[in-house]
Amino acid sequence: MTPLRALIRKEIAVLFASPVAYLTLTMVGLVTALVFFDHLRIYNQTLFVWASSTMGGFETDTVADYINLRTLVFLPVMEQLALMLIGLVPLVTMRVFAEERARGTDELLTTTLLTPNQIVAGKFFVTFAFVGLMLAVSFVYPATSIVRAGLGLRHLLAVYTGLLVLGLGIAAVGLVCSAFTRSQLVAAVSAYAIAFTLYDFSWATAFLRERPGVAGFLDAISLHPRFGGFAEGLIIGADLVYFAALALICFGLVRLSLDLERVR
Amino acid sequence: MSGLWRAGLIAIAFGVGSYYATGESGLFGRINLVAGTLALAAAAIVAAQRMTRGLGTPVARGLLLRRGLQLAGLVLLAVALERGATRLGFVADWTLDQRYVLSPASQSVLAALPDDLTATLYFDPEDPRVRGSRLLLRAFAADGKMTVHERVLDEAADEADALGVASSNTVVVESGGRAEVVGRPAEGTIWEALERLRRRERRAVVYFSRGAGEGDLLRGDALGYSGLAAALQTQGYRLRDLVLAATQEIPADAAALLVLAPERPLRSDSVERIREYLGRGGGLVAFLDPGRDGGLLDLLEDYGFESPDAAVVDPASGPVEGDAPGVNPLAFAYTDHPITKPLDANRMTFFLRTRPVRAAAKPRPEDRLESIVFSSNRAWLSRDLAAIDRGLAPRDRGGQPDSRFPLVATGLYPRGEDAEARIVVFGDSGLASNAYLRALYNLDLVMNSVGWVAEREDARLTRRPNALTNIQSPITPQETLTMFYGVGLLLPELFLIAGVLAWARRQRG
Repeated sequence: MTPLRALIRKEIAVLFASPVAYLTLTMVGLVTALVFFDHLRIYNQTLFVWASSTMGGFETDTVADYINLRTLVFLPVMEQLALMLIGLVPLVTMRVFAEERARGTDELLTTTLLTPNQIVAGKFFVTFAFVGLMLAVSFVYPATSIVRAGLGLRHLLAVYTGLLVLGLGIAAVGLVCSAFTRSQLVAAVSAYAIAFTLYDFSWATAFLRERPGVAGFLDAISLHPRFGGFAEGLIIGADLVYFAALALICFGLVRLSLDLERVR
Repeated sequence: MSGLWRAGLIAIAFGVGSYYATGESGLFGRINLVAGTLALAAAAIVAAQRMTRGLGTPVARGLLLRRGLQLAGLVLLAVALERGATRLGFVADWTLDQRYVLSPASQSVLAALPDDLTATLYFDPEDPRVRGSRLLLRAFAADGKMTVHERVLDEAADEADALGVASSNTVVVESGGRAEVVGRPAEGTIWEALERLRRRERRAVVYFSRGAGEGDLLRGDALGYSGLAAALQTQGYRLRDLVLAATQEIPADAAALLVLAPERPLRSDSVERIREYLGRGGGLVAFLDPGRDGGLLDLLEDYGFESPDAAVVDPASGPVEGDAPGVNPLAFAYTDHPITKPLDANRMTFFLRTRPVRAAAKPRPEDRLESIVFSSNRAWLSRDLAAIDRGLAPRDRGGQPDSRFPLVATGLYPRGEDAEARIVVFGDSGLASNAYLRALYNLDLVMNSVGWVAEREDARLTRRPNALTNIQSPITPQETLTMFYGVGLLLPELFLIAGVLAWARRQRG
């Protein structure tokens, strides 16, 4: 077994030995289910009220355009899933480096045959895979009824591509936070703070009316507008590159933290 | 230090929170944001000092410098890649109805309009529909012809009032000093607005025959043809009614005459008016129906068409609209004709009971006749129209073999130096009714037919934006509950049990 494979194996074992991983998956399942079925309930109620009040049943053109699965269920649920990622991903990332550092096991890692880049890559890989698993759990509900309602599997895949790259972006930020501290709590809180700040700078535009350049820059580095295209069913090359670039920069920062620790 | 950054985070959270709570950036919010930022900056400085403690050796400094430079290079590379990708503009539309890929009609109208074309999106920042509109306008602006602006509705209230913008998510397209307001931005509605902007350039007159129970252009329900009238007007045609029985001659400005399945046969003198008109190089678009030929059959036969009084039954189409299987054919076989050029096997047209129409024999050698839309090759003809009308499956196939039947046919008749008559005959009028005009690609087939007849060489025969698919079918409470208990609660429960087991194992270990 190569050292990198051994590291990945160990990371997976540590992850699933802790109840946090299962709790996170439980939360993902519950939150997705509650959000999704609540929107579905409201959609159904609205649809039935319209259909009965217009006396036209479910005939074409008797129900207002905006009452459709895409607008009232699919898009809002995906928005809330995106927010849920910010809430849950730091729970996964907080321990990855901070725990090793607090226990002193990071010293052991450096004595193995692994290069620092391999160590970081291994931990990134396992974390990203877990984010993928979280999304796979949440995929079940929208897929069940939205594919059944004929919205289109490709659209659903586009949204989940967006959720995946968004989740990876947040995970990368969380890993940086974990790499610069020994405290898991500090890692989680700082990951929340950075991810929430980075998520959407539209609040800042209220302060930046006179500086459209700065507002444009903040908009360009925000996570939420980058996710927007995916939610609408578009795969935009620039947005994919943005998330890849974010992960790359975070990789570089984690690598820097390891060097800082080494030379200290 | 930890107190400093915690205080900073709390101050920023309250600053941002006050903005979300009140919707404005008041003094409280600003003070909190500034104080929070200062606290975080101070905490960062202290943290940096602590981190760099013990990094004073030349080896450490060299390593850190190298890593710092690498990181800076990485950031520059990331920015360059992102900018490059933005410039390349790669976008793949994975929506079911390709709502962000412009149809040929939209591309064509964009190319035809002058360069001063602008689109302004008026919106409320809280409106979730704006994102889709923004992406759609981005698709329209992709080739550089259209400039897109955005205005927050509250901040541009006077401007919005002057333009008649009543609600968020409204687009105003402007060109040549004229403006069109689009209340529900979709490709189709924006395209229609752009067509209206350039409409003044073409004023072909289309006459509709009246007086023999033809389809009603003013009728707005499913059986009427107001949708066809609106579509023609959107594309710049002027529409006129013409009571054939009360006219001596079809006016000289008629670019085309549309005859929409008269319930009673046209009078013989009315048919003669049409014959004279065609002799002068006129254009005719005739819609027949099984059991109703409008008294046009003799005239059409003289121009080389055949249309037996029967209904095409196409088993390949299955049951549609509660009728017996096959009586409402879905057509997907087209010849290479200007009218059907934008259509292919994936762009079907829907016929609501149709009779066959065949281009049979050329009256003169120089004439060009062509059948352009066909059923599948498994169809047969039924003359049991009474059974079909009652929604029953026709049973009079007898020994008829599987065949392919033409459903639409065209003819082009050069008559003298300047005169060239054109005719399109449909075996069904229902496909142009309000209920079905926008079903599948019927609109393209009908509009391209009118364009080919009325505008000749100037015709814009193209594919138009398709209607968006709004899925409004209900998911019953029982189905919802089944899914909720079946997967909504079961999965989290299983994960929770696994988590408790992992915790217990850890406690034991």
